[in-house]
Order: sequence, then structure tokens, then C-alpha cells
Amino acid sequence: MLEELEAIHADAISAIAEMADIDGLEAFRVSYLGRKGRLTVAAARMKDIPKEDKPAAGKALNEVRNAITAAIGEKGESLQIAIDAKAAENVDVTLPGRLMHPGARHPISQILDRAVATLRRMGFSLASGPEIETEWHCFDALNTPPEHPARNESDTFYFEDGRLLRTHTSTVQIRTMETSPPPVRIIAPGAAFRRDEIDSTHLSHFNQLEGLYVDEGVSLAELKGSLEYLLRSIFGEKTPVRFRPHFFPFTEPSFEIDIMLEARGKASKWIEIAGCGMVDPDVFNAVNKARGDNAYAPDKISGFAFGLGLERLAMILWGISDIRLLIENDIRFLRQFP
Amino acid sequence: MKVALDWLSDHVDLSGYSQPELDDLLTFSGIEVEGIGSMPEKVVVARIKSSEKHPDADKLSVCTVDDGTEEPRQIVCGAKNYQLGDNVPLALPGADLGGGFIIKKGKLRGVESHGMLCSAKELGGEDDSGLWILSPDCKPGTALAELFSATFDLEITPNRPDCLNHLGIARELAALAGGDLKSRPDYTNTTIAEQPATKEEIRISAAEHCQFYTARRIGGVKVTESPPWLKSKLESISLRPINNIVDITNYVLMEMGQPLHTFDAAKITGGIHVRKAGENETLLALDGVNYQLTAEDLVIADNTGPIAIAGIMGGEATGVTGDTTEILLESAYFAPAGIRRSGRRLGISSDSSYRFERGVDPAQVAGASELATSLILKLAGGQAEEHILTCGSPPPLTQEVEFNAEHCRGLLGCNITSAEMFPILEKFGINKLEETGSISKWKIPSYRGDLTRPADLYEEIVRVYGLDNIPSRQRSWFSEISDADVAHDFMTGIANRLTALGFYETRTIKLTSPARTADNVCTTSNEPIALKNPLNDDLAYLRSGLTGALLDVAERNIHQGIETLRLFEVGTVFSKNNEGEESQHLGFLVSGPEQASWQDPQPGSADLFTLKGIIEVISGTSPAFVRTTESSPAASLLTDIMLGKLCIGQAAQIAPARARAMDARHPVFAAEIDLALLQKKTSGNTQYEELPKFPAISRDVAMEVELSLSNGEIESVLSKIKSPLLESFRLFDLFHDDSGQRLDAGKKSIAYSLTYRDRTRTLESSEIDKAHAEILDELKAKLPVEFR
Repeated sequence: MLEELEAIHADAISAIAEMADIDGLEAFRVSYLGRKGRLTVAAARMKDIPKEDKPAAGKALNEVRNAITAAIGEKGESLQIAIDAKAAENVDVTLPGRLMHPGARHPISQILDRAVATLRRMGFSLASGPEIETEWHCFDALNTPPEHPARNESDTFYFEDGRLLRTHTSTVQIRTMETSPPPVRIIAPGAAFRRDEIDSTHLSHFNQLEGLYVDEGVSLAELKGSLEYLLRSIFGEKTPVRFRPHFFPFTEPSFEIDIMLEARGKASKWIEIAGCGMVDPDVFNAVNKARGDNAYAPDKISGFAFGLGLERLAMILWGISDIRLLIENDIRFLRQFP
Repeated sequence: MKVALDWLSDHVDLSGYSQPELDDLLTFSGIEVEGIGSMPEKVVVARIKSSEKHPDADKLSVCTVDDGTEEPRQIVCGAKNYQLGDNVPLALPGADLGGGFIIKKGKLRGVESHGMLCSAKELGGEDDSGLWILSPDCKPGTALAELFSATFDLEITPNRPDCLNHLGIARELAALAGGDLKSRPDYTNTTIAEQPATKEEIRISAAEHCQFYTARRIGGVKVTESPPWLKSKLESISLRPINNIVDITNYVLMEMGQPLHTFDAAKITGGIHVRKAGENETLLALDGVNYQLTAEDLVIADNTGPIAIAGIMGGEATGVTGDTTEILLESAYFAPAGIRRSGRRLGISSDSSYRFERGVDPAQVAGASELATSLILKLAGGQAEEHILTCGSPPPLTQEVEFNAEHCRGLLGCNITSAEMFPILEKFGINKLEETGSISKWKIPSYRGDLTRPADLYEEIVRVYGLDNIPSRQRSWFSEISDADVAHDFMTGIANRLTALGFYETRTIKLTSPARTADNVCTTSNEPIALKNPLNDDLAYLRSGLTGALLDVAERNIHQGIETLRLFEVGTVFSKNNEGEESQHLGFLVSGPEQASWQDPQPGSADLFTLKGIIEVISGTSPAFVRTTESSPAASLLTDIMLGKLCIGQAAQIAPARARAMDARHPVFAAEIDLALLQKKTSGNTQYEELPKFPAISRDVAMEVELSLSNGEIESVLSKIKSPLLESFRLFDLFHDDSGQRLDAGKKSIAYSLTYRDRTRTLESSEIDKAHAEILDELKAKLPVEFR
């Protein structure tokens, strides 16, 4: 019996060493350890051996079974490793990546996010207001004279009830100050409407980003520092920024802001990018009148306001030549701003 | 407005400044330079000596011109508006006309052309009706740059009407450059004798619109061509010379900003009456249009009726012609509001109305008349009446303004001293009257009607002092998060999820047409709001939903061959019947397969459940789709999107007929959600749930049911079963065979996986079997199902 076990062990170990594939190894396992396998059959003969030999034979049988099982396991593992290596070797790593097809935010949203992120870092909160507005919020409160051309029906969309579509987001300045006392530090992104025929440089509505900072002691120095920081955050740290005196009814003094940019393949030049100024005292007076208090007393508090056109910003930033691309939503266009 | 450098140089010495320096000087004082025009080099005066038809082109002629050299020069030319002997501009080979247009010697239809004869437009002017006919006095060969001054095209902001003329700009430049005006023609201090007119001569019966009117009669004038210096001045700023009288009034306008009008005095019957028009009065104006006037319009009338629309345009019948010998020269102050209203209503904007509606200097009304008179006497001869007849008096438009040095320093945010500030004001002709401490009082010149408040004076300081000299300062502040911040972040979170799922964000126009409104299938109950003055019928309403616009975008992209459409838009939707009229909607559209790739060449097409899955992802919950009672011709299937009992929006399959109309090859699905409602329902902190320590076991149940039995009905039964061990269930297979071969065509096989777990211990198989059997019994009892 012991000799037989010895022989089975020796045969098995040498056979296992010869095995070249997993299927052969499994067949071998069945042929030795299976129900009719060589070792199983030999073990069945245990009942015939003398009682006193049984412990030794049993021990030897177990040792042989364990040894064979272990050898099969080891061999199996090494065969699998070879298969795995082969499989990895066969991968054509030059095949294209699996297409994930992410979509994209609209370029206007992307530029808005960029500006909002910067302005929040500067301590501004968002504010909003209605797009259908009263003439008072859109013009009167913003110190626009009654006969001002912007109020013409040829320039502004009106409704039968006398209200209008706001022509700028500056209405949110008024809405905010009406309800909150100073200090106020807000930005208001949103649509503004002008009665313009749509062409390569005009839309009948576009997106603005309005900002307002009112507090005690806000001066031109804060206006300048804040807007330089904002524009350099968007266009690059070294972008030259200049302030040109201008005129808006709701700020005094008023400025237009230019940045120096290099258009593709052209000499750098100053490009108008935003309007800003110190809030006109008459705007504060109008707000006080509406509030019925003197919270915004022009001799005690001051503030600056600014407005950016997002379409213009996007067109300059990405070299987009036709503003209509921004409302057509051609996926071939949108895809370019991942 | 165009100003000529030479003309400005009449008043201020600019010799020390280059063009770019002047550009900067103007720009930083708030006058935007939109362009600088100068005559290109190699453009000279040429006299046309002969002209013959081109042998091979009907529209061309072959001219020989005298270019000042000995040799005649042959030019092929397309214009017809010249006569032999005319002087015209000639661009010689090598001349650069801008925009990359460089003149070359060449052949036109086989005939050699050694240059180009130019129109005014080709040289930066306005007129492109034909060749620019130059004065006959020009010597051939003279460079045009010698004849015509360089010009600046300026944008004057509406608060500075005093800059709408050469003297005004010169005054500004002198102040900015720190120099003096060369000659300071004081048109406000005229020594000419004024004489109040009698009622018969001039009468004003609308004093709020016209406070001051003057007229001067000049007889024996000869209407003729203007002398070269005058024509050249006008031409240099792109005004076409007409005759000496008209040219003189234009000159005075551009010189000092006072609009004048000349009547043919012989054609006026009786005295001048400045009055409101009668309701049915009309006037044939100098532009050939017969204007219908209303009681809002101010007119100049004689005994027969209106002869001019005051301050806007004269009448044809009383206009100066070549036969005129006696003129009446009008110089007046008309108030801005009335001019603006009439000009707008009548649709006229003239050089005159442009200035009156912004405000002219009332103090120089008589002075302008005097300047024009002296020029007329010089250039057209004749005799002026001794007195200027006046009616009313120039209104004082400026007053004293207080200046608080302390406030000004605070506004600038820097330590500028009064010694630095005051000279700035003084340069602009603003004079200090008194000073007490930091408060001073200043007298404003008559032409600066824009300076009425302290802030206006501070602005003068700032624009001269310059922002360059003001420090950049940043002040930080902790800000309260606002509702708008929360809404913005909520929207951004959803937008980012959608882009990660392959969606493109669109931004469409908010104006739409009533026809398009029918496409807003997810907001059928919204009542669109109409504009009173739309641009056109296609943009006559505010959008009452996003779906219509998304369908437009889909169609546009389908026509570009794009099949996979995953679009969303966030934006305002308007409805008359909604509270507050405006709401923020999230709309999206899906159609077509996932994009094919080499691993998956034929992905399946999007369906209603793609839409539903997307909504589940963005809402973080499972909204129910419930068929609506509403219907729309553009939708074949319309459901409410329910979160509990709250309807947050609608989802639709676009009607196949509508989809075919946009050439869609795949079914199109759209949904719209009210963002505020979604935000309200889904915000709030999520609570962490302890991870289970014991394993879950699942059992499947497959049922054969009638086609009409919905998943919702089965799930509703399952969710109501009170089995303590049942943790969750989910649909995992649905099968239906239309052919009836593998399953009765009226039936479907539907299978769920049920998950069992006890959070305190590991379950025995027998317990699960028992619970599962109870659930099957319950299903069987409540629903007509057969287990497979």
C-alpha cells in the first residue's frame, strides 16, 4: 500500500510538471483525485489492509493527497499567470479610447461661471430681478431723463400695460437697494433686451453681468482695484486695463474699461469690455424716495456699479466672429467648448 | 461727429501733438475717437481732359487726365457724373486706400489704366454717388492731403452737446493740453444791436418750447457757389457744399454749434409766429417729405401756415434757391424735450435737431446770427438790417454749483489737494465765486448745462486727474449667501450632472412667435405674453416654454447630420397666468441613439425612459410620470412629472408627424421642470444611513400578466406589502412577443428581484422562503397575475 502511494505520488508530481494547459490539469486532477481517480481508488482499498497498518497508511494517504492537491494548485496558478500575461500582451494599446461623449455648458454659461467665481471670491453675493420691469425701475430710478432716446419704442420692448423688458440688468441695483439697506455687495447676471434686429453683431437680447458695491467710504480706488482684479482673473494676470471717462445717466463719474488684447495674428489693441462708475447721487435719491427713508444718503454713503456684456466677453475671449453662433446652438459649435 | 484737424487749429495750437497723442488726449477726457481719417498718400488732383467709351465695356469709359506732370495719363473709369475739365481725385499706382486695397497699374477689359479716379467714399468720405468733383481752383497734381485736413471721428456722449462743434472741441483740447485758445472768439458777447421785435414781426406763443427767437433780414444777396476755403472746410468733414448761404449756416453750425435757418424772405407772408402746429397742418420739408403735424410739434409759421418744423427742418416753399435775393436768418433757442419728441415722432434727425435736443448754448444765439451775417455780407454781398430782431430772452441754464473738496477727495479715494483740483475747474472756464473751508462755490459757463451738481464737478476733476493717478484698492468683506446664490448653485449642480451625462447646454432666444408656442408641449397651460412693439411677427411673444426652442435647435442640428441629440436649457419662461409671470425652467430634449463607438457600433435609440432616467439622476429621486388630461397636437404622449403630490413639470413624446416635419429619424422626447419646485422638493441635508452588517438575499419573481397591467400597479402593491424582511424590489426583465409565438400576444412577462435583509442578523433560507411565499400570495390575491 505504501509503495503504491509512493508511486502515485511520484507519477503525479512528474505529470503535473509536464502539464501545459489548465484544461489538461483539470483532467489530470479528475484522473487522480476524482471519484474514479487513481488515488481515490487506492484509498478505497484502505478497508482491506490490516488494522495495525491503518494509521500509517492513512497518514501516508493524506500526505500524498495534500501534496498532489498543492502541486495542482501551484501549477494551476502558474499556468493562469502565463495566460494572463499572454492576454495582456495581446491588447492592441493603439485602439482608440472608449467614447464617453460628455456634453458641455454653453460658452456664455462658462464665462459667467468664471466671472461669478471670481466675484464671489471678492465677497459679492448673487442677486436677481424680473426681466419684465416697470419703466420706473429701468429708467426713472436710474436717472434717465423722460425724453431719453433709450425709452423710445424703437429701442425698447414695451407691453400694453406700460411695462417693458429691462434694457439692462442695472434694474437689479434698484430692486436690491429698495429692499436691503447698505452695505450692499451684489452681482446680478441676467438677460437684457434691446429692440435691435438680429445680425452678426446684435441680438435682441443678450446677457449682462451687473455689479454693485455700496457702503461708507467706497471710492474710485475700490472701483479700480476691484475691476482690475476681475478682468485680470478672466483675461490673465498681466492684461493691461485702462479706464476711459464716459457718460452713463446712472453713474457719475462714469468710465468705459478697455483691456489690451492680442487678437489672433493681429497687433494688440485696446478693446472695450465694460462700463462702470460711481453711483449717481440721484440714483440714491430715487431709492430713498421709494424706501421712504434716508438709508442711502448720498452725503454719507457711496458706491460703484459696473456692467459687462457676456456675449462680448465670450466673443473676445474665444475669437468668435458672429454673435448669432451664441444663440444658434449648433452642436458642432458647442462641442468646441468642452 | 467729424472734426478737421486744420479747423481745430484755427482755435488752438496743436502743433506739438502727434495724431496718436491727440487721440489719447481726447480719449482720456471722455471723447471716444472712433477713427482718424487722413488722405492717403499718392492721391492727387487730376483734371479730366478727354473721355471716350470703352471699346469692350458699355459701363466703362477711357479718360485721359492731367495729373500735373507733362505726360497725359490714361485711366479707365466707371463713373458718369463728371464733365470734361472737372477736377477729381486720382489715386496713383501704389496708393493705399485702406483695407488692403492698393492701386496698381493694370488692364481693364484690355485697356490700360494707370491709376483710379475716386469717389469721396473711397477716400474716407460719405458720398459714393460718383466721382468726387473737386473745386475747379485746385491745381492738378496737388496732393489731396494738402487740400484736406486729417479728421477725427468722435463719439460725443449725450451730456456734452457743447462738444458738438469745432470751437467746443478746441476749448476742451486747450484745457486738457494746458494751453490757451489761440483766438477766443466770444460769440456770447456780441456788440450787435438787438432790438425787441414787434408782435407783428415775431410772436412766440409756446414759450416753454422756445424762449428766445431772433431773425435778421439781409437783402440783395447773390446765391452762388462758395469760395474754395469754405467748400474745402465743409468737404473735409464730409459735408457736401451746396451754395454760399447754406454753406455759411453749416459752417456756423460746425464752428460753434448753433443751428441756423435761412428763409427766402420774399416767400414769407407777414410776420414770424412760433407756435404749436394745428392738428391738420402739414409741411412739405426740404427733404421732399410732406409731414403731417400734430399739436405736439412746434412750427415756425407765417400768415399762410407753417414754414418750418422748429429746430428740425425748414419748409421747401420758403427755402433758399438760386433766385433768392432777400433772406431771413433765423437763430433761436428751442428747448430739448419738444425737439426730441417731434423728431422722434416724425422720424427726422437733422444736424440741427441733433444739437437742439441735446441742448445748445442760449447765450450764443445772437452771436451765431452775427457771425453768419458777417460771412453772408462778405460772400454773398447785400445789406443787412441794422438790428437783429429778438423775441423773448436767452434762458439762463446754468447756475452756481457747490464744490466740497472733502467729498471729492473721498470719492477719488486719494489725497488730492484743492491746489491740484481748482486749476482743473478753472481750465474749463468754471470760475470760483467764494470759498469757506472745504466748501466753495463756482460759476458755470453758459455752454456747460451738464454741470448742475457737486458730483458733476467731481467728474471734471476725475477725468482730467485721470484714473492712472488713483490707487487700486481692494476691500474684502464676508457676504451673506443669498437666495439667488442658492438657486444659482442648485442650477449649476444640475447643469454639471447633465453635461456629464452627455448633454449640451443651449441658450436660445426668449422671443418667439404664436406659431412656435404650439411647440411648447410641456407648458401647454402657460398663456404667452405679447409684446406691444415687436420687431417682427416671429419675435412677437415672450416664450411660454423652452420646448419649442429646443425643437428648433434639434432641427438645426438634424439638418447638420447630427442624430444624437442630448440638449438642455435653463432659463426664464413667461406666462400671463402664472403668479409672478416669470419662472426658471429646466428643459431638455433627447432623441436618437447613444453615440456609436467601435465597441458599440449600434447603440439603441433614446426613449421615454431615457428621459425618465435623466430626471431621476438630476432630482436624486424617482418622480412618477402620470398621463395628463391636457393634450397638444405636437405631442403624442404627455405626462405630468410628479414628486409625491406635487407636479414639478411635464414630459412628452413629440408627435411623430411633428418630428418628421423636422426630418428627425428617431423619436423625439422632451421634458420641462420648474426649477424652483424641484429645488424646494429636493434640497435639505441628506442623512447618512448606517451600512448594513449582515448580507442581503434576493429572490426573483416572474409573472405573466395582461398587457394592460402596468408596472405602476404591481409596484404599488409591492410597496404596500408589510413584510419586515423585504428591503427593496426592482424590475429586471420585461418581455412581450407581438407575434404570440413565445408568449400570448395579449400578455407580457414581467420579473422583479426582491431583496430581503434583517439589519440585526443573518437570515435563514427558510425564513426568506416563507416571506417570499407570503409576498407571492399577496400579489396573487391583489392582482391578476400568474407566476412562471
